[in-house]
Amino acid sequence: MKIGAQFKFFKVVWCFLLVVILFVPICVFGKDKIVIGQAWPLSGPVAAAAKISGGTIYEMWVKEVNKAGGIYVKEFGKKLPVEHKIYDNESDIGKTTKLLEKLILEDKVDFVLPPWGTAWLYAAATICNKYGYILIGGPGGAAKLKELDLPYFFQVLNFSETQGPALAQIYKEIGVKTAAVLHRGDLHGIEYGSAIAPHFKEAGIEVKMMKSFPPDATKDFTPLLKEAKGLGVDAFVVACYPHETIAITEQAIATGINFNAMWMSVGPYDPVIYRDTFGASVVEGVMGGGAWNAKTSKGAAELVRLHKEYFKAEPDYWGALYYWSSLQHFQQAIEKAGTLNQKAVRDVLATAKFQTALGTYYYDKRRFLAKECHPGEIGQWQKGVFEVVDVGPKRTAKPLYPKPSWPKKK
Amino acid sequence: MVTFLNIFIGGLLMGGIYALVAAGLSIQYGVGRVLNIAHGEFLMVGALITWYLFTIYGISPLISLILIAFVFFFFGFLLDRSLFSRLRNISPSVAAFEANSLMACFGLQFVIQNIAIVIWGAELKGFSYMASPVNILGALFGANRLITLAYSLGIAGIFYLFLTKTRYGKAIRAASQDIFAANLMGINIKFVLSLCFAFGALLAGTAGALISMMYSIHTTMGMEYTVIALIVIVLGGLGSITGSMLGGLILGIVGSIVSYLEPGLTLVAYYMLFMILLLVRPTGLMGRGS
Repeated sequence: MKIGAQFKFFKVVWCFLLVVILFVPICVFGKDKIVIGQAWPLSGPVAAAAKISGGTIYEMWVKEVNKAGGIYVKEFGKKLPVEHKIYDNESDIGKTTKLLEKLILEDKVDFVLPPWGTAWLYAAATICNKYGYILIGGPGGAAKLKELDLPYFFQVLNFSETQGPALAQIYKEIGVKTAAVLHRGDLHGIEYGSAIAPHFKEAGIEVKMMKSFPPDATKDFTPLLKEAKGLGVDAFVVACYPHETIAITEQAIATGINFNAMWMSVGPYDPVIYRDTFGASVVEGVMGGGAWNAKTSKGAAELVRLHKEYFKAEPDYWGALYYWSSLQHFQQAIEKAGTLNQKAVRDVLATAKFQTALGTYYYDKRRFLAKECHPGEIGQWQKGVFEVVDVGPKRTAKPLYPKPSWPKKK
Repeated sequence: MVTFLNIFIGGLLMGGIYALVAAGLSIQYGVGRVLNIAHGEFLMVGALITWYLFTIYGISPLISLILIAFVFFFFGFLLDRSLFSRLRNISPSVAAFEANSLMACFGLQFVIQNIAIVIWGAELKGFSYMASPVNILGALFGANRLITLAYSLGIAGIFYLFLTKTRYGKAIRAASQDIFAANLMGINIKFVLSLCFAFGALLAGTAGALISMMYSIHTTMGMEYTVIALIVIVLGGLGSITGSMLGGLILGIVGSIVSYLEPGLTLVAYYMLFMILLLVRPTGLMGRGS
């Protein structure tokens, strides 16, 4: 054989071997796992908040699914375990979008999970929709996402749209007459601020003070607390994130400023970082966004038990049940679709009702979790339990009003 | 009167925190030419140690403060001797040393932060200590903030006396003016520089201990405080402890005034102040000209 012909022969053999190595395992064994990517804040300003509200739920869901052998996908005729691929978005919105594109285009993950925070979610939703990838929302929510009407985006968490009217209803019931409304100067804060004020007006509550503050950079809230106290308002209402919630509470205690009602959007729901930091008796009567507790449903009680088993701590009493149930719904949607095809799974997600920890779970026509499925909107700490105090059947305890004074500290 | 006190004392309390955070970085850069980007990480470790000792063993943060002061001073001294001293020896010029030490500090920042994440995780943490109101002529302030302000002013006083009345203080001042001339005059410059870095670490650690009594803390909070420190030391004048104190207090009072008027403009006010000062007095309030 001539040298040229020999070389050609070896080239053909090598190509054949390559094809065998690459494709035979796929043909013989099929897909062996479902890869789910997530651009999540492992560092940066919101990393600490993300860890306590949401992070543990995704981690626990993957472990529980794999413990049961995986998700059954008819197309492959077997259960596939889940691989959770997390990239650190460094709490940066721009980085989140780049990482999502990397997960979708380079890593070719089967599905993606949401980032943390309203502004991040807003950015991620448009990216996922662009590539026809399902994005089941997690921590965060915005009315602006409803306006966009993205077919592949599913809003899980309740937010200002339903919490604003619920808070106004509660305040009307307990006799709040005046309020100070403060909010972070970002999408979360602005939406809450603009959603709450009209509902208060409708309920006959006068908003005597309405101010915003720079997000993440504000350390001293005492001028705002003192101004609101000086105006003699009944309720102090703030749309803020956990580190701000803690600072506001600490500064209110330190200056001895109390209000008849005190509500903060993100943060009070957490039993570890909020209740246990200050003590159950100290936070008695503080209200926050939420809400659910172990009394909400059997599934909710089971989630509390499971979370304690995994992390030696109770879950957060706002989003945890929502995210957990959304993942249970997602898993059942994949199983019903029998494929990992985005369009097929998306269609099942958009229309199917499945039983989850919070009860029957389904999305409305705009693919937002149906209001009827919400376990609650507003929570209040009462004797160490984050009670649901909404007006109506979801209530687990009557609202405590007026909020007791801060106990004298050592 | 009460409004004035609320604005003025409230501003001083916030300024005291800013000053304390910045003082350590000021001395490290002003004398040792180490732009310690990891300064906030020292603060974070100080805060988390205080939190740990309080929540696990019930040790008062004020006792932890003393413990942290000793440990951080010793650690800072060793770090300068082992890392920055060597960098100084191998760097051909002061400018090269500044660049090398900056890179080393970036590395240090990641190392400290990641070790902290391994030990304490990334969750928010917090505790409440001395969060009781103190009435000053009708205006209410938190006891823990008043303690922080007292500590800041106290430490500024001690440092002032140390720098002006002691031989080592004079040596530090001499080194900050001209490191080579000071060396030629027989000052043990290596010891003085290590001393400065150690003092910087001490101030960062104790600032962390005090901050943990007032704010939520977490392992990734360091950079936020490094940025505050950088703004304050540029405002006060690089290398001047008094300037840092003054810069911190001014920033606190300006923030307090603007917060009363329109809180949304607080950051704008900070940066406006910063820009005006850079235009009018580029060396900072107490900085020396080149």
